[in-house]
Amino acid sequence: MAEQTQVRKYGYNIPISEKTLQVPWEEKVRVIEEVRSDFRFKDFLFGCLNCGVCTASCPSNRFFDYSPREIVQRFLENDIDVLYDMMHEYIWACSQCFTCWIRCPFVNNPGGLVIIMREVAVRNAFEATKDLLKPYGRVLLKVMTTGNQLSADMLQPDFFPDWGPKMLDNMENLRAKRMAIPFDVGKAVKTAWEVSLQTAIEMYQIWRETGIFELIERLDPNLYNVIMDIVEENEERWEELLEEMGEEQA
Amino acid sequence: MGHTSKSPYLKYADPEPFPILNKHSHYDHLFEEMHELEEKGEILVFRITEENKPKYVYTRTGRIKTIPTNKLWHHKSCGQCGNIPGYPASVMWFMNKFGLDYLNEPHQTSCTAWNYHGSGTSNPVALAAVWLRNMHQAWKTGYYPLIHCGTSFGSYKETREQLIFNKELREAVKPILKKLGRLTEDGRIVVPQEIVHYSEWVHAMRDEIAQLYEKEGKPKGIDVSNIRVAIHNACHTWKMMADDYPYDPEVYNGQRPAASTAVIKRLGAQVVDYSTWYDCCGFGFRHILTEREFTRSFAIQRKLKVIAEELKADIIITHDTGCTTTFEKNQWIGKAHGMYYPIAVMSDVMFSALACGAHPFKIVQLYWNCSNYEPLLEKMGITNWRELKKEWEDVVKYIAELEKQGKYDELLEFFKKYDLYEPYSKTSDGFKYRRSATSDMPLFKS
Repeated sequence: MAEQTQVRKYGYNIPISEKTLQVPWEEKVRVIEEVRSDFRFKDFLFGCLNCGVCTASCPSNRFFDYSPREIVQRFLENDIDVLYDMMHEYIWACSQCFTCWIRCPFVNNPGGLVIIMREVAVRNAFEATKDLLKPYGRVLLKVMTTGNQLSADMLQPDFFPDWGPKMLDNMENLRAKRMAIPFDVGKAVKTAWEVSLQTAIEMYQIWRETGIFELIERLDPNLYNVIMDIVEENEERWEELLEEMGEEQA
Repeated sequence: MGHTSKSPYLKYADPEPFPILNKHSHYDHLFEEMHELEEKGEILVFRITEENKPKYVYTRTGRIKTIPTNKLWHHKSCGQCGNIPGYPASVMWFMNKFGLDYLNEPHQTSCTAWNYHGSGTSNPVALAAVWLRNMHQAWKTGYYPLIHCGTSFGSYKETREQLIFNKELREAVKPILKKLGRLTEDGRIVVPQEIVHYSEWVHAMRDEIAQLYEKEGKPKGIDVSNIRVAIHNACHTWKMMADDYPYDPEVYNGQRPAASTAVIKRLGAQVVDYSTWYDCCGFGFRHILTEREFTRSFAIQRKLKVIAEELKADIIITHDTGCTTTFEKNQWIGKAHGMYYPIAVMSDVMFSALACGAHPFKIVQLYWNCSNYEPLLEKMGITNWRELKKEWEDVVKYIAELEKQGKYDELLEFFKKYDLYEPYSKTSDGFKYRRSATSDMPLFKS
């Protein structure tokens, strides 16, 4: 505890959750070290005048308890408790617009620091991260299996009642309307454009090689199973296609 | 025209075209590094050649950026194709009008960066592999990549900077590309000379677009001179890797991003300034989908309300997927709090296409918009928009009927005339082995 007090000598009395206080100090240090050891960290954090330009122009600051200046300051002071606490909910308020980056006189990149923190939060499968990303499952399913983040059939009026009555009209007779889009690969309904099977297969290989599937498994095992069912089915279809092509060539 | 460095990819305007605030750009140094890596045989720079009919613009550091205008590989946007299909269709419509060559094929994924910025469920190696796979595919076809989405553009610029300056990233991504067969035959990574956003293409083509407006738009009775336009620049184009986006003396003397504003000015519409021009739209990546109260509050209070009260603008012009969606879809809900500020929203290329006489529904696909675009059409002189809408609705009915009857051959024949781009005619590997990620039978049979 004495160690913690010493490190926080410049503390601004930011409230820290009980949960964070109960986590062993070494574990918190390990997680923050994981953020600091990212190869981008050195390019995202320099000095800080505490001028607050980043926070003054931050869209998330207007509606959330979120300040890019605090992110920068906490890292400069190595405030382990606050940083660890921020990694559970605080960082998810950032809009990733990078207004803070373009405006900072020191060229700090608080939005960039946040994305590293998010990555580490996901890798460590924090409970708060799992809860927060639950409503995002549909998007993850789509992007992991097809390589498209969004498709026409995802924009159901039930999910977007706040977008108004024209949405209802748009979704009626959706297939024919999509076919009236005047370029061939854009006529797809289940994807934004028609992504070829070969391309999807290559993408699956990228997810495997870079540990993305493992991330999803730690985050949401049920979603992972659904994704892998589709992936494996597509891989089988691809194998069959290769065989057919081989036979034809022979 | 300019002075060069030791790298053929880095050239500065001389004299400076406008007051330059950032003269020692770390970002620009990557063009020298890129050249060195090429000399060492580590990468192959996918060059812009004369075949690409290059044009030249300035960045905010005074660097001369090369913009290819011909023989382009459409790197599509999932948000645009899925939600605002008139956006890419307008780009292709212009390319057809100008007789330019392009390739629009299915062998491409999204950049996956929307997901990354929203959920953190990726990493720099995966992002680099996805980007370089797409670039290799373009290189293999000989068509230069034109990036439609602002986030793809920002993410690719950032990933390229990380790749060029960090050996560890190159060493991590190279074995993956090798397994995919996405290196050159002699084992090099393919890196494009410039990463080019479609809005840069529109910016570079603004004279041609203005000429087309005179030649084909005005004779149809279209007049944009009384249209009041509020410009919204997308954060991921000009704030993310800020040293790689066009600036120009004719737009606020080079002190604000030039793309979109310049083409609208060239068309003769009235660009009107407002106090929150630098603010983002409120999209937020994750927020637009799962924290929508933030997105709509920000969009309404910081942009739509300000634009309505300060300017009485007719339209907000954007140049990215997320901003267009955010402004466009978050108007109606304002009625709940007495904050309804109806205004047309569309991208620079969609508005330009309308000005040049493109069909508002078959090409610009305004049908998908949720905001009030009708008053804008009236004010532009497209007063027959009801008939044009009916035409499009008849097309939809016709397509639905043919499909219901299983007349796929007739449908194909119809698309050959209707589409901007003849179905299946120009993929890099032909139709025969084409299957999609969601179905064995692509297109309308899926």
